[in-house]
Amino acid sequence: MAMFEEAVSILKDNLGNDVLECKTPKPRRAYILVKLGCHRDAISLLLKQYEQTGISTITGTDLGSEIELNYHMRCGGAVTIKNRVPKEKPRIKTITDLLPGAAFYEREVFDLLGVMFEGHPNLKRLLLPDNWPKGAYPLRKDWKPQDVKSGVSDSEKNSETNGGELKEATSIVNVVVGPQHPALHEPERFSFKVDGEVVVDVEPRLGYVHRGIEKAAEHLMFFQDVHLVERVCGICNAAHTTCFSQAVEDIGGIDVPPRALYLRTIVHELNRIHSHLLLLGVAGLLLGYEALFQHVWRDREPIMDLIEMITGNRLMTAFNTIGGVRRDLDPNAAGKIKKTLEEVKKRANFYKVVFKEDPTLRLRTEGVGVLSKSDALKLCVAGPVARGSGIDMDVRKDDAYAAYEEIPFNVISYKECDSWARLMVRAEEVLESIDIVIYALEHLPSGRFRVRVPRRQPEGEAVGRVEAPRGELIHYVKSDGTAYPYRVKIRSPTLANIISFPTMIRGGYVADIPAVLGSLDPCFSCTDRMVFLDTQNDRRWYWSLEEIKPKKAK
Amino acid sequence: MPIDLTLIARALIFPGFIFLLALALFFDWFERKVAARMQNRMGPTYTGPLGILQPVADYIKLLTKEDVIPRQVNKLLFTLTPVLAFSLFVFAMFYIPIDGSNVILNSSFEGDLILVIVLITIANFALFLSGWSSTNPYSGIGATRILTQFLGYDIPVIILALCPAFLAKSLSFVAIAAKQAIPFALLIPWSFALFIITLQAELEKDPFDIPHAETEIVGGYETEFSGRKLAFIKLSEDFQFLIGAALVTELFLGGPFGPVLFGPKEMWGAIWFVAKTLGVIFILEYIGNVSARLRIDQVVHSNWKILIPLAILSLALTITCEPLLRSIVS
Repeated sequence: MAMFEEAVSILKDNLGNDVLECKTPKPRRAYILVKLGCHRDAISLLLKQYEQTGISTITGTDLGSEIELNYHMRCGGAVTIKNRVPKEKPRIKTITDLLPGAAFYEREVFDLLGVMFEGHPNLKRLLLPDNWPKGAYPLRKDWKPQDVKSGVSDSEKNSETNGGELKEATSIVNVVVGPQHPALHEPERFSFKVDGEVVVDVEPRLGYVHRGIEKAAEHLMFFQDVHLVERVCGICNAAHTTCFSQAVEDIGGIDVPPRALYLRTIVHELNRIHSHLLLLGVAGLLLGYEALFQHVWRDREPIMDLIEMITGNRLMTAFNTIGGVRRDLDPNAAGKIKKTLEEVKKRANFYKVVFKEDPTLRLRTEGVGVLSKSDALKLCVAGPVARGSGIDMDVRKDDAYAAYEEIPFNVISYKECDSWARLMVRAEEVLESIDIVIYALEHLPSGRFRVRVPRRQPEGEAVGRVEAPRGELIHYVKSDGTAYPYRVKIRSPTLANIISFPTMIRGGYVADIPAVLGSLDPCFSCTDRMVFLDTQNDRRWYWSLEEIKPKKAK
Repeated sequence: MPIDLTLIARALIFPGFIFLLALALFFDWFERKVAARMQNRMGPTYTGPLGILQPVADYIKLLTKEDVIPRQVNKLLFTLTPVLAFSLFVFAMFYIPIDGSNVILNSSFEGDLILVIVLITIANFALFLSGWSSTNPYSGIGATRILTQFLGYDIPVIILALCPAFLAKSLSFVAIAAKQAIPFALLIPWSFALFIITLQAELEKDPFDIPHAETEIVGGYETEFSGRKLAFIKLSEDFQFLIGAALVTELFLGGPFGPVLFGPKEMWGAIWFVAKTLGVIFILEYIGNVSARLRIDQVVHSNWKILIPLAILSLALTITCEPLLRSIVS
């Protein structure tokens, strides 16, 4: 891609001596180490040059005496701008003034690695509990789970978890949605300030299902990690395994056979179809349209059956592995898959018409939760949320992986910028995905479906990017030449999208909350990633993998 | 003075309390079954033939549950309002002719239509108080939504109820129902259609089930209720549904009056009443199942800007066409 190479050369030319190291191991991937503090110059250069530049995430890695910060920018590909801060005094300037969308990523690094971002407007905990002991940073290499068993004093508890203070007589009511609430299918907490029926402000609090998967991944071998990252999210599991496998394959320089790439694509797209149908159904439920919900979910079942037929599992596919896929496709299956998909396509066409034309659905979603294109770019949202705001952004096109380079398909985008547009993007993407699967089946290359891969991977780092059903998913893997990854960083699309929620809902009605939240298709277990916590007794404990494994009889 | 056994039997058994209770539970089941079939589900199947006893089982279960009273609530209102709402609805139902006359014989009077509408309003207010007394943000929003929505649909309901009353030249249910050799639904379809839509709001069904939109405000006004109190709230909702459907039946479909084939007139009255009400419930459920929930501001806007002018228009149209309609009937 011309844009990508141009971007890299612009950075090299303009920053001059500030660039300490520049590696471009494969097309559309660059790793540029710059002098401490020059990351802001690099990012503003990219922003000035390309409108659609955004930040995917910030990875913090403990290198021993330094903490490495990787700013993964999306700009035709993945441009990683590296910065190293001393571990004794980890301070760095924020980039939230350049890109407000980086706010959550900086908070995440602050939370898990203890890096202070100077100038960040709201540097608070993101994933860990509010009463987590100060100075304990789980992603640092010298941190041990035992460190937090000592408990914390009451003064460190945040008043927020106790319901906050009662305000004086005003018409503004604090309505707390979550962690348990019918509009949320996963635990997360939103504190809405409501004046009558109008939402004045909202503060999201994440972290209720934080499982420390990134830390756990460092203690498992690469091939085991494939199954761990699959459990980040049940719905988009194929996206996570594809993404992780791609990153490891990049490190190891492994050539995946074309048949495996096509099979990955097929399962990945089936994954997308069932995820989108699930969301369209849930949107019906959230908008009080139960009949729609029940019908869409019924039509999702054949897709689940197909996934079971291909992979052996209904939901957790366990299909991808490093170097290919784990099962070949039965030659007789193609006919059945095509037949089922034709049926589903008819239904999906019908649902598209329903979402397009049903007057009550349109009344509830049109003009609701507006996220303008400029806001969407600033907040660096991803996937259907960005495409609903008129941004043509799809990793499958911009940074083609698996078999997408060879498969023709359209990127759906709507210019309406509201909840309706975001739902319509998904309704149409179901149809596109069905076409992709049929095309892939018809052009399925023959040959091997996996190559054997050694357990040890060479030293190196790689960014894996895929378009998960909810948007751009990014895995950053760093290897130090052993069988265990040195660092695994996962940024799920929901974290990129949830930051836009306050912008969308401010000034809306209480009744818009589910409509807007639904259109984001939030998946919080993706976003939070094993800590067990009992806030009543301040008791914390961990289960190591050894404890989870079934005990052998002694 | 001898005790009038017929009166007690009518008030307690048929067509009084026990019959009404059975009818409300049966309608509850019917409603669930229709909704389930429309959503491609089975609905209740387990308790009794076709699951017909499911609502009974649900209420028995609720009655045996622990009844929690939160510390912060207004205990008097919190305890009183569920029972009050329930009894008001039952009381209102006693003025609806079910087997050709009212539950308590000869208690029908000129103007009981207005009494019933007033009772429904007060009962709705009791439901609002029940939510307001629970001092929970979800209940509070749910309760204010009841009142807000009520502001919208109460006036069109009264205006539209006047259309059949005007044709029948009476404000008594028995007289209105008895005058319908040709159902008013056929004579004044415009009022009938509008009344059904307004009723949908009155009964808090989709697209107007805003006061208990569970994805927004959890249980709405009933969030804090449990056990027996919740059972009474749910029963009042069932009775509200029954009374809403009964209003349409009496005002537009001729109520319990219809051809008598054989046997006693009262039996046929009840059969016609139930059959017509089931039809009305089917229409209401159908509308509810093909629409999404609107927002409270949209409901208030559409009520004041569309529904009330239309209601007035339809009343005017009814009055203008009255001589013509009268000639058709006779």
